[in-house]
Amino acid sequence: MSRRNRMLDDLEQDIRDHIEIETRDNIARGMPPDEARYAALRKFGNITRVQEDTREVWSFVWLEQLLQDIRFGLRMLRKSPGFTAVAVLTLALGIGANTAIFSVVSGVLLRPLPYPEPERLVALASYDSLPNMEDIEKQSQSFEALGANTMQRLDYTGGAEPIQVFAITCNAELFQALRAKPALGRLITADDDRYGSPGAVVLSHGFWTRQFGADPSVIGKSIPLSGNPYTIVGVLPETFWLPGRPGDVYASLRVVYPAAAQARNVHFLDTYLRLKPGVTLPQAQSEMEQIDESLARAYPSFNQNRHRRLVPLLDKIVGDSRRALLIFFGAVALVLLIACVNFANLLLGRSASRQREIAIRSALGAGSRRLIAQMLIESTLLSLAGGAAGIVLAQAGLRVLLALSPRNFPRLDGISIDARVLAFTLSVSLLTGIVFGLLPAWTATRPGLGVELKESGRTLAGSRASLRLRRTLVISETALALMLLIAAGLLIRSFQKMESEAPGFRPENILTMRVELPAARYEEIPKQRLFRAQLLDSLNSLPGVRAAMISELPMSGDSLSHDLVIEGRPVNPADAPEVQTRTILGDYFSLMSIPLLRGREFSGQDRADTPVVVVINETFARKFFSSQDPIGARIGWAAETPVHWKTIIGVVGDVKHFGLDQPEEPAAYDLYSQTDQPWKRWMSIAARSSRYPSELTREVENQIWALDRDIPPSSVLTMKSLMDMSVDPQKFNLTLLAIFAAVALALAAVGIYGVVAYSVTQRTHEIGIRTALGAQPVSILSLVLGEGARLAVFGTIIGLAGAAALTRFMASLLFGIDTRDPLTFLAVAVILICVAAAACCIPARRAMRVDPMVALRYE
Amino acid sequence: MSTEEQKERIELLQGTLDLLILRTLILGPTHGHAIAKAIEFNSDEVLQVEQGSLYPALHRLIKREWISVEEGTSENNRRAKFYRLTAKGRRQLKLETSKWDKLAGAIARILRPAEQENES
Repeated sequence: MSRRNRMLDDLEQDIRDHIEIETRDNIARGMPPDEARYAALRKFGNITRVQEDTREVWSFVWLEQLLQDIRFGLRMLRKSPGFTAVAVLTLALGIGANTAIFSVVSGVLLRPLPYPEPERLVALASYDSLPNMEDIEKQSQSFEALGANTMQRLDYTGGAEPIQVFAITCNAELFQALRAKPALGRLITADDDRYGSPGAVVLSHGFWTRQFGADPSVIGKSIPLSGNPYTIVGVLPETFWLPGRPGDVYASLRVVYPAAAQARNVHFLDTYLRLKPGVTLPQAQSEMEQIDESLARAYPSFNQNRHRRLVPLLDKIVGDSRRALLIFFGAVALVLLIACVNFANLLLGRSASRQREIAIRSALGAGSRRLIAQMLIESTLLSLAGGAAGIVLAQAGLRVLLALSPRNFPRLDGISIDARVLAFTLSVSLLTGIVFGLLPAWTATRPGLGVELKESGRTLAGSRASLRLRRTLVISETALALMLLIAAGLLIRSFQKMESEAPGFRPENILTMRVELPAARYEEIPKQRLFRAQLLDSLNSLPGVRAAMISELPMSGDSLSHDLVIEGRPVNPADAPEVQTRTILGDYFSLMSIPLLRGREFSGQDRADTPVVVVINETFARKFFSSQDPIGARIGWAAETPVHWKTIIGVVGDVKHFGLDQPEEPAAYDLYSQTDQPWKRWMSIAARSSRYPSELTREVENQIWALDRDIPPSSVLTMKSLMDMSVDPQKFNLTLLAIFAAVALALAAVGIYGVVAYSVTQRTHEIGIRTALGAQPVSILSLVLGEGARLAVFGTIIGLAGAAALTRFMASLLFGIDTRDPLTFLAVAVILICVAAAACCIPARRAMRVDPMVALRYE
Repeated sequence: MSTEEQKERIELLQGTLDLLILRTLILGPTHGHAIAKAIEFNSDEVLQVEQGSLYPALHRLIKREWISVEEGTSENNRRAKFYRLTAKGRRQLKLETSKWDKLAGAIARILRPAEQENES
C-alpha cells in the first residue's frame, strides 16, 4: 500500500479521535455532553470538506474526483435506463448522421489529392486543345508541367472476347504534373509522345491484373487496341488515380488520335497543370490572361474570348458537388442541433426531478462547482455514449449513402470513417455534452435550493423557470425541424415536377447499346456505311423488333456541337452560334415517338447522291427561324470551307437530351448515309421490342457479331433506366434530405411530447382541482392540446420565417418551383402541427383521466 | 461572495499554518489535537484555527517530508498518530522563519510611516 493510501485510510479515524478529544476537553471545562460535542464539531468545521481538502493534498484529487463523479454518473444513468436510452438514442441519431455526412465531406472536400504537393496542382476551368496547350507552355513561366488528357474507348481484342477498354489519351507531361511513378517498366515519355512514334501503352494496375494475371513479363509485349499494335512499356501502381477516370490503358494522344491532337479548335482535353514552386495562382492567372490575348491575336478565328481561368485542381474535380455537400452538411447540422435541444430538454426534465437530491447534496457541503461538474460529467457520459452509438449508425449510414450516391459524384472511392472523422465525432460528442449539459446543470444548481428541501417535493418556484426554458427550447427545435421539412418538401416537389416533365419521347420498351467501329478496319466510309446498313436490316428483320441508330443518344451524356451558319445571314466565324448535331439512320423519330411538327421526316429518297437534308428541333426553329419558315432554308457548319449546305426539310419536337431537368438546346439531325465522316465511327442502337431486355441484348449482340466478331457493344441499357439515371443526383439529394427531415420531425415530436407530458405532471394538482370543480374532460383536453399547439404554432411561425430566408441557398438544387413555393410551405406547416397535436395526445389522455381525489391527496 | 472570501481566508491561513505547525513540533512529536491546542494557546487564543484545516496542512507537510508520522499513545492512553519534525523540516522552519521576519519587517516599515502621517 502506498504512503498516500495509508495516510488517507487513517484520516477518518484521526478526525474522529480529534473531535472526541475536543469533546472531552469541553466536558472537562464543564459543558454538558451534547453541547460539548456540538461545539467540538463546530470548531472542527466541515468534515467532508476537510477530507476532500486533505485528499487534494495528495494531488491526484481532480482525477480522483473525476473518476468518482464518473462512477457516480454511471450509477445514476444505470438507475434510469429509460432516460439513458432515450438520451443516447437521440444523440446517436444526430451524431451518427453528422458523422456519416462529415466522412463524405472529409473524403471529398478535405482529403488532399493523392499526389505529391497537391496544392501546386491547378487546372483550366474549361476544356482546351493540344495546340493551344503547346503555345501556353512556350509562352508561360509559371508552370512546371502542363498535363492534358481525355478518355476514349478503344477495342481490345487480345483477350477471349472483344472488349472495350477505357484509354486515357494524354501527353507525356501528364505524368510529370501528377508526379506519377511506374510500378513496373516506365511511363509515357516525350519520345513516345510524338506524331508518328510507335504505339506505346502503359497499363493500369487493374487492367494488368485482370487481363494478364499481374504477370511482370508483359513489358515489351504487343497488344492490339482498336486494330493497331501497341507495345506495353509499363504498369502504373495500384494507388495511381486519375480524377473521375477509371482508365485501363494510357497512351499518347498524338499517337492514338493525331487528327484530334492537331485540331486547335476542338476543345476536349482536361488539363492538369503543376505550378512552379513559389508561383501563386493569381500570378499564373495574370500570365494566362496575357497568353489569352496573344493567342487571340495569332489565331483570331479560334481563340477569341477564350478567357482561360485557372482553378485549384481539387475545386475543378469537386465542382458542383461542393454546394450539394455543404447543403447536406448544413441540414445534418440542423438535425444535430435539434437532437441537442432535445437532449438539453431531457436533462432539464431530469434535473427537475432530481432537485431534492441536488438540494440534499448541496446542503451536505457539495460546492456548486462540484455539483455542476457532476452534472456535466453525466451529460458528457451520455453524449459520448451517443457518439459511440452514432459511429455504429454512421457506418451503416455511410454504406447506404455510398450505395445511393449518383455515379458521377467525385472522389467517393476510399471514403471511410477514418481518424479525421473519428476526431470530428469525438469533438462533436464532447461539445454536445458540455455545451448542452451546461444550461441544465447551471439551472439545476441555482440558488434557492433551501426552498426545495422545505417544500414537500412538489415544487413550483424553480420549475416554472425551467419549464419556460424547456418551452423555448422546444419552440426552437420545432422551428429547425420545420426548416428541414421545407427543404425536403421543396426537393420532393422539384422531383415530382421533373418526373412529370415530358422527355419528348416514349422511353418504354427500348433497349440501347453503343457500338464503335475500330479505326483500323473501318477507316473508309463505304465500309462503315455497309456495316450500318447491314446491321440495321438484320435487326429490323428480327421478329417483333424495330431498330434505328443515332450518334448521340438522349440522356447518355453524349453530345456533339457545331458552329452554325445560315445561308443568307453572314456571320463572323468567331460569333457563330453553337447548335447540337445528331446523326441518325433508320426510322428513329417514329421509333422514339418524337412527333413531327412541320415538313417531312427523312425517307428512303434521301440518299448519298441526293441533296443533303436536315431535320431541326423546335428550339432550333424558335431560336433561328422565329420570323421565317425554316422549311427549305439551308444551314451549314462554320468550320467547313467551303460550307456544305444542308436543306431543312422538317421540324420535330424537342427531347430532353441533357436530362429531365435540363432545357433542350437547338439541335439538327442529319443522316449517316449523307454526312458520314471517317472519324464518326460510333453509333447507339435503339431497339424497341416487348421482349425482356436481357433476351433482346443477346439477340442484338449476335447480329453485331455475325457481321464482325471483334466489335464489343457497350453501355447496354434500357432507355427507361437511362432516363432514371439522369435524375439520380436529384433522387439522391431528395432521399438524403427527406431522411434528415423525418429524423428532425420525429425528434421535434418527442420534444413537444416531453414538455407537454412534464407540464401535465406538474399541473396534476391544478387539473385535479379543475376536475373537482366540474371541468369537463373536453376543456382539460383543450388545455393540454392548447399548450402543445402554442409551442407548435410559435415554432412553425419562426421556422417559416427562417425557411423563407434560407431556402434561396438551395435554389440550384430545385427544378421548376420557387424557393418559397407557397404550397410546400403550407403543407409542411400543416404536417408539423398535426404531428405536434398527435404528440400531445398521450399526455392529454393522461390529464383527462386525472382522479381529483388522487391529485388532491398529492399535498 | 461568500465562497470567494472563504477561499481567500484559507489560503491566507495555509502558509502561516504550515509555519506554526513546524514551530509547534520543534518542542517534540505530538498528535493532531495537541498541535491545534498548542497553536491556540501559544497565540493567546488570538489565532482561532478552524481545527479541521489542520489536517490538509499536516498531510501537505508529510508529503513534502518536512514532518513524519509515527504511532504513539496519547495522554489518555489511546493509540494516536504522532507527528515529528524531520531534519528537512527543521531546515525549512529556519528558512520560513527568516522569510517571515523579513516579510513582517517589510510590512511594518510600510505601515509605520502611514501611522506617523496620521498622527501629525
